[in-house]
Amino acid sequence: MKGMLKGMGVTLKALTAPKVTTSYPDTPYMMPERYRGIQHFIPELCIVCNQCARICPTECITLTGKPNPDPEKKGKVIDTFDLNFEICILCDLCTEVCPTEAIVMTGNFELAAYSRDELYKDREWLTDNNTRVREDNNNIGAPQKGGAK
Amino acid sequence: MGAIRTEELLLNVGPQHPSTHGVFRIIVKLDGEIITEATPVMGYLHRGTEKLAENLNFTQIIPYTDRMDYVSAMTNNYVLCHAVEKMMGLEVPERAEFLRLIVMEMQRVASHLVWWGTYLLDIGAMSPFLFAFRDRETIVQLFNELSGARLTYNYMRVGGVKWDAPPGWLDKVRAFIPYMEKKIEEYDRLVSGNEIFLSRIQGIGRYDAETAIRYGLSGANLRCTGVQWDLRRNEPYSLYDRFEFDVPVGKNGDCYDRYLLRLEEIRQSLRILRQALEQMPEGGETMGKVPRAIRPPAGESYVAIESPRGEIGCHIVSKGKAEPYRLKFRRPSFVNLQILPKLLVGETMTNLITILGGIDIVVGEVDA
Amino acid sequence: MSEHQEDTKDVTSRETGEVEKKAEGEASEAADKADGKVIEADKADSEAPVDKVQSEAAQVGVKAEGEAPAPASEGAASEATAAEAEREAKRQAAAEARAARAAAKAAAEAGGAEGGAPAPAAPAERPARAPRAAAGAAADAAPAAPKEPSPLQPQLDAAAALVRELVDVDAIEEAYVNELGSHMPTLVIRPPYLRRTAELFHAHEALGCSYLRNVSGVDYETHMEVVYHLVNMASGQRYALKARADRSDPVLDSVTPVWETANWNEREIYDLLGIHFKGHPDLRRIMMPDDWIGHPLRKDYEPLDPEV
Repeated sequence: MKGMLKGMGVTLKALTAPKVTTSYPDTPYMMPERYRGIQHFIPELCIVCNQCARICPTECITLTGKPNPDPEKKGKVIDTFDLNFEICILCDLCTEVCPTEAIVMTGNFELAAYSRDELYKDREWLTDNNTRVREDNNNIGAPQKGGAK
Repeated sequence: MGAIRTEELLLNVGPQHPSTHGVFRIIVKLDGEIITEATPVMGYLHRGTEKLAENLNFTQIIPYTDRMDYVSAMTNNYVLCHAVEKMMGLEVPERAEFLRLIVMEMQRVASHLVWWGTYLLDIGAMSPFLFAFRDRETIVQLFNELSGARLTYNYMRVGGVKWDAPPGWLDKVRAFIPYMEKKIEEYDRLVSGNEIFLSRIQGIGRYDAETAIRYGLSGANLRCTGVQWDLRRNEPYSLYDRFEFDVPVGKNGDCYDRYLLRLEEIRQSLRILRQALEQMPEGGETMGKVPRAIRPPAGESYVAIESPRGEIGCHIVSKGKAEPYRLKFRRPSFVNLQILPKLLVGETMTNLITILGGIDIVVGEVDA
Repeated sequence: MSEHQEDTKDVTSRETGEVEKKAEGEASEAADKADGKVIEADKADSEAPVDKVQSEAAQVGVKAEGEAPAPASEGAASEATAAEAEREAKRQAAAEARAARAAAKAAAEAGGAEGGAPAPAAPAERPARAPRAAAGAAADAAPAAPKEPSPLQPQLDAAAALVRELVDVDAIEEAYVNELGSHMPTLVIRPPYLRRTAELFHAHEALGCSYLRNVSGVDYETHMEVVYHLVNMASGQRYALKARADRSDPVLDSVTPVWETANWNEREIYDLLGIHFKGHPDLRRIMMPDDWIGHPLRKDYEPLDPEV
C-alpha cells in the first residue's frame, strides 16, 4: 500500500505544477530558427547547377533551365523547378549544397492538403512561400559533402 | 472441469494494435488464457533501406538511417558516420565529437523516457506516459533548435556534425540535467514501489545469461541477466573512455530488472552529460577534413555502437565508389525480438504485453 | 566555387613540399591533399574529370578502378602551373606504382591483406599514391616498404591453426586480417566445414566466441557470401567468419544450432538474397509477404511490378 500512496503523492503534486500545454492551433506555434519546413525558392539566385537534384535522396526535385535571356550574361536561368512534396523528406540536403542559397527552408510546417495534386509544388508556389524563411542555413556552398551520385 | 469443452484459440495480435509498438503482428495459440505458441510476423514496415542504400552515397543515406529506429535517430546517424569514418581513417574534430556524444546521450534519455512512458501505458498506468512525454518534449525541443527537426534529425555527417550548437543551447542542456535528475527520482517514487506494478512485473519474462548470449541479446536485455557487456565500456568509441560512468547490471533477468536498469541508465546518461558539458572545448570545427567525394576504400568493415536498445551495427561492403556495395545494419530490436516466442510459452495473455514491452522494440528497426 | 579555386592555388604552391608526405598514416587531411595533389594540379579548370579522378585520390589505399585515373591524369592538359617537370616525374612514378600494384594484386590475391587504409607503412620516397603492396609484393618501381603485419595477426594465426587442426586441414580458404575493418581477423571457410568450424569457435576455450553479433549476406555478382561476426565476451577478441556460396544455387549450413541469434538473421538472408540454409529449423520469408516471388536484395532483382 505504501508504494501506491507514495506514487499518489507524486501525481497529486503534479496537479499543482505549472501547465506545459500550449493551445495550438489557437496560438500559432513558432518553430525554432533552424526548423526544416517546406522550401522557399528564389529564382533570381538559381544558377541551374543541378546540385540539389543530384543530392536529393528521394529524387524529388526536377528542374530545367534555359539560357540567360540577357545576351550579356553567360549561364542559365531557371525555367521550371518542381518539387514533388509527396516524397520530400525535408532532410535539408538541397539547401546545404546550393551554392547560391537559392533554395532555403522555411518554418512552415502546416502543409496538409486536401488533394495529392496540391503536393506537387512548382516554381511559383515555392517562390511565393516566403514567410518565416530560414536565415541561418549553414550553407556549405559547392558540394563539399555528398559528392557525385 | 470435464463439463467445459475447451479448444485451442488462434489469436491474432494484429499489426494494428496499440501495444505492439508499431506495425507488428503476433499469432498466438491460446489454451484458455495460457499461450502455447507465439509466432511473430514482421515485415509490415519493411522499407528496403538496405536496397535503397546501394544507390545513394553516404550523405544521402543519413536521412534514411534516421528513420530506422526513429525513437533514437541520433545513434543511427552516428553508427553510419562512424563506420565510414573508420573505414576512411577520418578524424573528427573534438568539438564535433563532443556535440555528437552529447546528443547521443540526450537521445538515450529521450528514448528511455519513451520506453518508460509507453511501457507503463501498456501495463495500464496513464500518468507516467504524460510525464515522460513532457520531459521528452524538452529534449526534442532542444534537438529541434539544434538540427531543425523533432524526430529525424539528419544531424551528423561523415566527418563531423552539420552545424554547431546555436548560442545558448548548451546552457539549456546544462539546466536540463538537474531538472531531469529530480524528475527521475520522482518517477522512481511514482512507479517503482507501486505494489500493483511490482506484482505485474516481477518474475515475468525471466531468462538466464546463457540464453541471453545464445540469442544474441544486447543492451538492457543482456545486462539484466548479469552479463557486463556495454559497448561504451567494452569497445569504446567516440569519447566514452574519458568519462566516468557505471554500467548497471541486473541479477534476475526478468522484466523488473530490465525496468530498473533502464531507469538507471538514464541516470548514468545524465552523469555522462554533465561531465561532457564540463569538458567540452569552447570553440572548434564542426567538420573534419573530408574529401569532396566520400569514397571509402574497397573492403568491408563492421562497426557497432550502443544504442538505447542494444548493439546497433553497420556492416559496409564497399567497392571504392561513393555508394556502398552492400550496407547492412545489425538492428538490435530485430535480434532482441527473437527471444519472444521462447519467453511467451506458458505465459498468460496479459504477460505478453508486459514481456513485449520489456524488450523495448521499435518496429522501424525490426524491419528496416 | 570560390573555395575550390583557393584549394587549387594552395595545393599547387604546396605541391613540392607535400608531395613527399605519405598519404596514409596521417589524418584524412594529409591523405586528401597528398593524394589529390597529383590530380588536382592537373585539372584546375575542368570539373568532369575531377570527380572521377579525385575519387581515386580520396581513397586512402585500395581502389577498385585502378586503371581509370591513368589516362585521366596523363591526358590532362598541362596547366600553366609551376613544376611541370616534377609533375611528369610524379605521373611516371604513379603509373609505375599502379602497374606494380596491379601486378602485386594479381600475385597476392589469395593471401594478401584486404583493405589497408591507414596501414603503418614506412613513408615512401616516391610521390606515388599509397601503394598497397602486400607482403612480398613485386613492386620494384614503387616503394618497396613491406607492410607491417597487423597487431592481430598472431590471433588470426592461432585461430587458423586451431581450425586446421581440429576441423580439417583445408577447411580454411583464406585467412587474413581485415585492416580496413578495424583489424578484424577474418577466416573464409569452405562450406562443407562451416558447421564444424562454427561449433569449434563456440565451444573451444581458446576461441570461446559465444556471442554471434551479426550475420550478413552479400551478393557479389559471381558468388554469394555470408559473413558472421563473432566476439569473445570475456577477452574482447573479435572474429569474422565468411562462407561463400554458389550464386546459381546458394546453399549453406545453418549455424542456428550453435548460436540461436542466427535464426532470424538467416531467415532474413534467405528472404532477401535467396541463400538456402540447411538445417535451419524454420526457414521461411520474414520481411517480404509469404507469397512474394524473387529475392529483392539480389543485384539482378527485377520487381515483377515496377510500381511497387
